[in-house]
Amino acid sequence: MSANLVGDVTMRYADLHPQSPAEAAPVLLLHGFGTDFGMNWQAAGWPQLLGAAGLRVIGPDLRGHGASGKPADDTAYLPERFTSDLVALLDELGVERVDAVGYSMGSRLAWELALTRPERVRRLVLGGFGPVNAFDGTDLSALGEGTTPFDQVFRTVAALPGNDPAALAACARGQAARPFSAEPPVAVPTLLVTGAKDEIATGAAELAAAVDGAHVEVPGRDHVNAVSSRLFKQAVLDFLTS
Amino acid sequence: MTELIDRTDAAAETPVLEELSMQQAINRALRVLLAEDPNVLVFGEDVGALGGVFRVTDGLQKEFGDQRVFDTPLAESAIMGMAVGLAMNGWRPVPELQFDGFAYPAIDQIVNQVARMNYRTRGAAPMPITLRLPSFGGIQAPEHHGESLEALFAHTPGLKVAAPSDPADAYGLLLQSVRSDDPVVYMEPKARYWDRRPVRLSEPTDPIGTSRIVRPGRHATLIAWGAMVHRCVQVAELAAEDGVELEVLDLRWLKPIDAAGLAASVARTKRAVVVHEAPLTAGLGAEVATLVTEQCFRDLAAPVQRVTGFDVPYPAGPLEPQYLPTIDRILFAVQRTLEY
Amino acid sequence: MAEENVTFTLPDLGEGLVEATVLEWQVSVGDVVERNAPLVEVETTKSAVVIPSPKAGRIVELHAQEDQVVPVGDPLVTFAVQAQEQQAGIVGRVPTEEARPARRVRLKPPSD
Repeated sequence: MSANLVGDVTMRYADLHPQSPAEAAPVLLLHGFGTDFGMNWQAAGWPQLLGAAGLRVIGPDLRGHGASGKPADDTAYLPERFTSDLVALLDELGVERVDAVGYSMGSRLAWELALTRPERVRRLVLGGFGPVNAFDGTDLSALGEGTTPFDQVFRTVAALPGNDPAALAACARGQAARPFSAEPPVAVPTLLVTGAKDEIATGAAELAAAVDGAHVEVPGRDHVNAVSSRLFKQAVLDFLTS
Repeated sequence: MTELIDRTDAAAETPVLEELSMQQAINRALRVLLAEDPNVLVFGEDVGALGGVFRVTDGLQKEFGDQRVFDTPLAESAIMGMAVGLAMNGWRPVPELQFDGFAYPAIDQIVNQVARMNYRTRGAAPMPITLRLPSFGGIQAPEHHGESLEALFAHTPGLKVAAPSDPADAYGLLLQSVRSDDPVVYMEPKARYWDRRPVRLSEPTDPIGTSRIVRPGRHATLIAWGAMVHRCVQVAELAAEDGVELEVLDLRWLKPIDAAGLAASVARTKRAVVVHEAPLTAGLGAEVATLVTEQCFRDLAAPVQRVTGFDVPYPAGPLEPQYLPTIDRILFAVQRTLEY
Repeated sequence: MAEENVTFTLPDLGEGLVEATVLEWQVSVGDVVERNAPLVEVETTKSAVVIPSPKAGRIVELHAQEDQVVPVGDPLVTFAVQAQEQQAGIVGRVPTEEARPARRVRLKPPSD
């Protein structure tokens, strides 16, 4: 089923296979910048796979994305605003702990959740993510006009039907206001998965080593197409069910 | 502070792509409707134990029981009269009249009661009835099994009329029809019952009364509904070989008619041909031609053409191919608009 | 029961995309697949998508190589499935569909 959670910003979320056994931690799927739960995870076949493994799947459209509210001010998109959305969602659903699986920006937020609310995260998967500044060299006041990798990403997603470029720009600035740092490290078991050709996720192996986690590289895949790979899914399934 | 709103049970899973015939798609829609609303009742001649003469109600009685899916006597007027009484008592009837031509004995109930009760009672007795009517020709069946009654129903104030052309639309339009609190005559194109194609069944998103561009084009618009949509697509494919790009507009809703959708298409293409199986005179094509002319008079490069059945009783099976609009008759009408 | 071959074409993946790149087949020729099982991974300009199998059947042919760009509507895979008899209703016949309908009238495109 899907529903809306109303806070300062309305959040649309899917709660699939909620009858899954209580001993298994539900899987919280956090999508990347400029996409939504449906495009990032459903179309790539994730809920089906996790459901077949008997896992409950919770999939929000993050603020600024999909069918959730799209505020236009930068401060609405600070990482802590996202994590309070997620905690409110877990509280609403009566879920104590989840396995948090992120992709790209979703990984950044999954890390934030594991760091600030370690009691809510059992395991952490960071897909398509590395400890680099994604906004390096990007003019945050003229997003999409430059030639950096992030400008290119922004141009692509801003043109997708249903996306609000102003909200996405505010989201990018909100995220950029709190640059990622691997210090302090998270204290939950962590897996990183990246496409071998993913330039946005540089340094994933080092980050995995720094948090005593594992790193799996998917041959031949880049930032856009790693998410549907069988290898990626199997690595996550093994990690979550081991 | 959070509260939960808009909790819908619509499956959040991406709709699955599957190969389905129109029969199966309608069957699925009926399943959804019976499951979601305990007031929905499906009844008619042979719809229960047999599962319908076209298998459309196959398995429904087994799944939902003979209190909700049941056979009736062979008495069409009684079937529709029963629907009226059930609707007045809070049910949401989905009667079937087995064939188009069998609707005539029930016209009194349909026109005098179903269509007017809401008006007559000043809204106290809405008629959320969906009459499923296997319609139109093309299957070489005997008399009374190939008729097109859309003009009769569209001309009756108080009724809505739908005529889907493919499995996905058959599913969506039936959901909308049954959920509507107004009476709807839902005309199923028998000739397309076996039309199998990969479809994604999903909740309808277009409001009632919207048409659909099935194939875009720029030289002329072919306007059709039911089984004639497929024929028009065939015509458009052939026309493309000649360098003529025909737009195919599936009207879908014959009441209310999507006047704005017609105007938007024809204002672009400047030519229109309306195709239906029913006889020419006072057919729905006349209404469509008028709506187009009223809205697009200055844009039109040629008068609107009609390609229809003939002004004769629906013929016996062997003559059907001559009676129904043929590919060549439609192409010929297109050529007349192109060289006008 | 008799088998028949059915070819599945690349469906419209939405948002007006006209083609997709095959990333990886998740089935091979000869595999027997269930309906809805993962069939093929494709990438559009928008995202990576897993297409589930629309049929239960045996894979007879894969029509595109990995990394190949496939236009929407082009053949993707051919299945051998249990032949389904087109059952007519109790009244009437199932209309026969000509692959390419006959025509006599030819059109002249307008000059405008």
